[in-house]
Amino acid sequence: MEQSKGKIGIKEFIALTILMTGTKLADDTPAIIYEELQNAGWIAPLIVGALSIIPIALLIRVVTSYQDKGLIQVIDHLFGRFIGFLIIFILWGISFFALIIDTAIYTDIIGTMYYSRTPTIAIYALLMAVCAYGGKKGFEQIGSISWAVLPYIKVSVLIALVLSFFQGQTSYLFPILGPGEWEVIKESSLKLSIFGDFIFIFILVPFIKSTKDFNRGVWISLCIIVAEVTLAMMIYVVMFDYQSVMMLNYPYHELIRTVQLGFLTNMETFFFPFWLIASFVRFTVYMYIAAMLFGRLFKIKEFEYAIPALATLVVFVGSIPESPTQSIFEIRARLIDVSTPIYIILPLLIWIVAKFKGDLKHDKAKESI
Amino acid sequence: MTKQKSLFKMLCLLSFLLLLLSGCWDQKEVEKMAYVVAIGLDQDEEDENRVKITYLISNPEVGSLAQGGGAAGEEPPREIISFTADDFITSRNLANTVVAKEITYDLLRILVVSEDFAKNKKFLRWLYDATKEREIRRDIKILVTKEQTSSFMIDNQPLLETRPHEYFEMLFNRGKKAGMVPSSDLLTFFRITEADADLFAAAYGTAQQNDNSSGKNKDPEQAIAGELQYGGETNTVQYAGSALFKEGIMIDTLTIEETRLMFLLHPTENPVAILTNLPDPFNEEYQIATRIRPNGQVKFDMNLKKETPSIDVTVPVIIEVLTNHSGTNFAKDSEKRIKLKESFEDRITKKFEELIKKTQDEYGTEPFGWSLVARKEFLRISDWESFDWMKTYPDIEINVSTEVRLGNFGRQGEMLNIKDVRD
Amino acid sequence: MLKKLLKKVYSKKPNVPEKSSTEDILRKEIQLDGNLEQTLGFFKEIYSYPDNQDFVIRNIHINGMSKKAALIYIWTITDVTLIDQHILTPLIRNNSTSSKIEDIVSIQSVDTKNVIKDILPEINKGSAALIIEGDPQAYLFSVTNFEGRGVEKSENETVVKGPKEAFTEKSSTNISLIRKKIKNENLVVESLTITERSKNDLFIIYEKDLANEKLVENVRERVNSLQVDAIQNLSLLEQHIEERKFSIFPTVLYTERPDRAASFIEDGYIVLIMDNSPACLVLPATFWSFYHSSEDHYLRFHYGNFTRLLRIIALFITLFTSAIYVGVVTYHAEMIPPDLLLAIAATRERVPFPAAIEVIIMELAFELIREAGLRVPSPIGPTIGIVGALILGQAAVQANIVSPIVVIVVALGGLSSFAVGDISMNFSIRLTRFLFLLVASLFGIYGMAALFTFGIFYLVSLKSFGVPYLAPLTPKYVSSGDTIFRRVLQYEMYRPGYVKPKDIKKK
Repeated sequence: MEQSKGKIGIKEFIALTILMTGTKLADDTPAIIYEELQNAGWIAPLIVGALSIIPIALLIRVVTSYQDKGLIQVIDHLFGRFIGFLIIFILWGISFFALIIDTAIYTDIIGTMYYSRTPTIAIYALLMAVCAYGGKKGFEQIGSISWAVLPYIKVSVLIALVLSFFQGQTSYLFPILGPGEWEVIKESSLKLSIFGDFIFIFILVPFIKSTKDFNRGVWISLCIIVAEVTLAMMIYVVMFDYQSVMMLNYPYHELIRTVQLGFLTNMETFFFPFWLIASFVRFTVYMYIAAMLFGRLFKIKEFEYAIPALATLVVFVGSIPESPTQSIFEIRARLIDVSTPIYIILPLLIWIVAKFKGDLKHDKAKESI
Repeated sequence: MTKQKSLFKMLCLLSFLLLLLSGCWDQKEVEKMAYVVAIGLDQDEEDENRVKITYLISNPEVGSLAQGGGAAGEEPPREIISFTADDFITSRNLANTVVAKEITYDLLRILVVSEDFAKNKKFLRWLYDATKEREIRRDIKILVTKEQTSSFMIDNQPLLETRPHEYFEMLFNRGKKAGMVPSSDLLTFFRITEADADLFAAAYGTAQQNDNSSGKNKDPEQAIAGELQYGGETNTVQYAGSALFKEGIMIDTLTIEETRLMFLLHPTENPVAILTNLPDPFNEEYQIATRIRPNGQVKFDMNLKKETPSIDVTVPVIIEVLTNHSGTNFAKDSEKRIKLKESFEDRITKKFEELIKKTQDEYGTEPFGWSLVARKEFLRISDWESFDWMKTYPDIEINVSTEVRLGNFGRQGEMLNIKDVRD
Repeated sequence: MLKKLLKKVYSKKPNVPEKSSTEDILRKEIQLDGNLEQTLGFFKEIYSYPDNQDFVIRNIHINGMSKKAALIYIWTITDVTLIDQHILTPLIRNNSTSSKIEDIVSIQSVDTKNVIKDILPEINKGSAALIIEGDPQAYLFSVTNFEGRGVEKSENETVVKGPKEAFTEKSSTNISLIRKKIKNENLVVESLTITERSKNDLFIIYEKDLANEKLVENVRERVNSLQVDAIQNLSLLEQHIEERKFSIFPTVLYTERPDRAASFIEDGYIVLIMDNSPACLVLPATFWSFYHSSEDHYLRFHYGNFTRLLRIIALFITLFTSAIYVGVVTYHAEMIPPDLLLAIAATRERVPFPAAIEVIIMELAFELIREAGLRVPSPIGPTIGIVGALILGQAAVQANIVSPIVVIVVALGGLSSFAVGDISMNFSIRLTRFLFLLVASLFGIYGMAALFTFGIFYLVSLKSFGVPYLAPLTPKYVSSGDTIFRRVLQYEMYRPGYVKPKDIKKK
């Protein structure tokens, strides 16, 4: 009927963005950051967030000046068929690769921390089955579910963090600058692409009710994500001290194993399902974006039908690496390094081309950013 | 079209049920588990690279009144087995040669280490196995025993708390509140060892009563576990004092008094209230029973950038007087109160100074967690690491002062003057 | 392969010899021609007179016109005194020659029809048909009187505070119950005949200046496109008009309370009423309409929300307790506080089944007791309850078939399931509970989280007549904000935006 246009409002959009990027605080991203930044790891999200303003602002400037066009259509429009194809191919490559290694990491978390004797393939298959199902349902549904579950997930994370804050010691945060201010800035900017998901969010512009909603949604979610990741990173240090936190593979999971509340000494099973739901939603979004790019590349209109096939591919590719905790950790760290330049250069390139083509001028009166 | 779909679903459901019945993967039935509550670690006598493991396994049927449990009364509350293994991970299978059920560490509460083994350089390697094992949590406790852990476990027979996990939990909670033993988490042990600055204090206990000291009338405050004389019909095990670990190796023990002082000097780990005796300044014969409570945070004034770094520590405490055998009426006499206060301050400060001197001279670093405070003085980790707390500590000039605030003088302030009565 | 095979089996049409009824059909097409004898002959044949006991043909002579006439009706569904006093008596006693039938008979509604096909349904509905010699039409008097219960207390949706009356099996009563609450000229009661053989009538009730036209049109279309011989009542109609027949969640609300129906109408919803159903259907229905009860709003703000809180807790307890028990005991034993864990282990020591099977046995037993309690004649009912719940549970524990904790877990879940009043939602939750139980025994908490996410995806994608199932929670719409909890009445200012009412603001 007329209600379902497949568009989502600002609330759903923010919820979706937060789940997509914010969930990173609970995987091995903190471990990657701590490796270089030691106890100053919590500064990294702040710097990354601040630096992310540039590419995001550029993209917003360009993408919102086209009515109802997403990043894919904008790239097509600006770069023409061939180069456009190439750029989208790179984007697809990154998103799909990220999907594979992230799901592999999450499967590994579930496997090593909770289900040590269950075969990886079973865990993986269940994870991807749910995501594929969700992806097939369409974008409006993904938005709805994000908004429906977000409060509960965030409350559970907050409870875990607050409890551990009281069990930890703030003095572990000192010496406050960690390895030194230049080191912190340098290493953080190299890790810029931990917020690289924001590029992919621009693909979703046509699904948002209005560009104004989109504009506001992006900034609000960026602020929330930066705040929550920073807080989480601080509390990991407060809980474990930097020497120990650098050795942990999955700080969030060690954290929820360690916190206690009154007579409940082992609470991780209380926090675990919320984390799982967040991960399911996160990968559903990834899945959907990867499928969308895939659909554009190979001219598949009904790209939702490609999702189950892609999901199957992910399961098989993702379960290849041996001892995933370490090997994928390395691949992931490298992916972050590799995609960082793209995160900066691509928006800049798009903006320059758009400027050159003069597409930004006539919209200036209408759009005020 | 739809009907066949539902048939299809039925088939799926059936295969699902088959899977369910087969009982697979991580599925464990609770009643088929042997719950290890405590693991004992000893050095194997013959082979340097192996350890002697002692399991204390709890019997779930004891203490349960529920129906269906069966003949709980006839079974003992626990089972103890000791054997030699390479580590306490593979030992889970080895134990199955004796124990019928699958060994699980889900209820593991305490890791008991013998003093001999703790002083061994290789001890740390085995302890770090705990970080790999999924079922071992970081909040379990460490206990150091004087004797072999296997004999300690056998001798440890609590009379009233028959369920072993309950016994250990309550013991540690109470011991920490009374300031008799440190909390000694595995988490803290790892942290301190990795930070490589402070000393770690673990709880110390034994089941052997030390007969040598029985002749002397020893001040209980100066004792550690095994030196206190208990009579009556009770468990022979004592927990008192603490074992100090430097860089993961045990170096010494602290007496009850020293443990308590350590708590008072610690910036974060505060005991709730310590009951102790202090000498009466008005009459040398008598002791005054007091309750010492920390009065807010310990204050530090650190000056580490100097040639000889210095630290000024102020410990605020509230002291409540609980007995008054000399009969001096200081409740109503402000001059006497000031004198009392000063004497308390002197006494406690002296004790602090003794302990600090001991840590500086003998241990080379401190168990008070001061390095955490010192870290705030530095901006970068590299500066902190080059400062090298462990190396610098013995040379730091430390000034301790105590700020005593007198609390209540018991429920009844005034005291009968016994001399007057006798007249 | 298998699919094809199955398809073949199901697509076959059963080969049953059918007798042709063309003659009957042709007869019904005949127009009246004024020949009384012949016309009566047709009717006698159609109604199998005189085999048909309640079919009556009363021959009379109208004095004034001095014509022969016959009155045809089915006496079991007509008001006989009405016929006697207001039709027969005036006709027989009438002396004036010129007056028309309409002027003679003092009955409230008179209609004329001249094709047999059109007359039959009226007679079947309880009208009396008057056929006069030489007159090529039949006069139809509405004298319907179906027997039915009076208005009684509602039994399945009971309230403590608030109106107690419930719908009955008679649609006219039901409509009047609604009219009693909404005295507005915009309240439209549309009538449609929806089946081909039994000619069941359906009433579509809505407020003209509130309900969304497209929605009404959608309902009309869906109802008109039904090609069914008979739909006896609303419970059956519900299954004919719902969008997803295999969905585990209901998408049409079935309520027996006129006050609830009226308040839905006032929010722009559409209500369907049929004869023979002591209830009405409300559409579109969202998840919340099944979760709410009318008393939530009759009770004061805090009390109402307290019951809501209890209900949502009960809902989650029903869904999750047994699954969590199985999941935790078999996969996450470490999370149980040690004393409890040891207690569970101790009581399970002699139980021969794995925890999952144990719980499934107990759950099935509980469902059996429940079903049996519903079906047995009422004097025996309580006995079954006591025997089932107490003796069976106690004996099962003593015989070491189940552990006492499982009895608690299952009983708690079973008890809580009653808190969700709507029968359809109640079933969906009870069935979902088994799904959770299954995944919990396969994958523990991981499986449950997966199924939960899956379920939410499913719920979110469900639609009832174009309205998202979880609206207005998500996607967001302007609404009174009445979802898990309700607001203070004065703040519930808007009609639900998802039904697109014409007038969004309540005054």
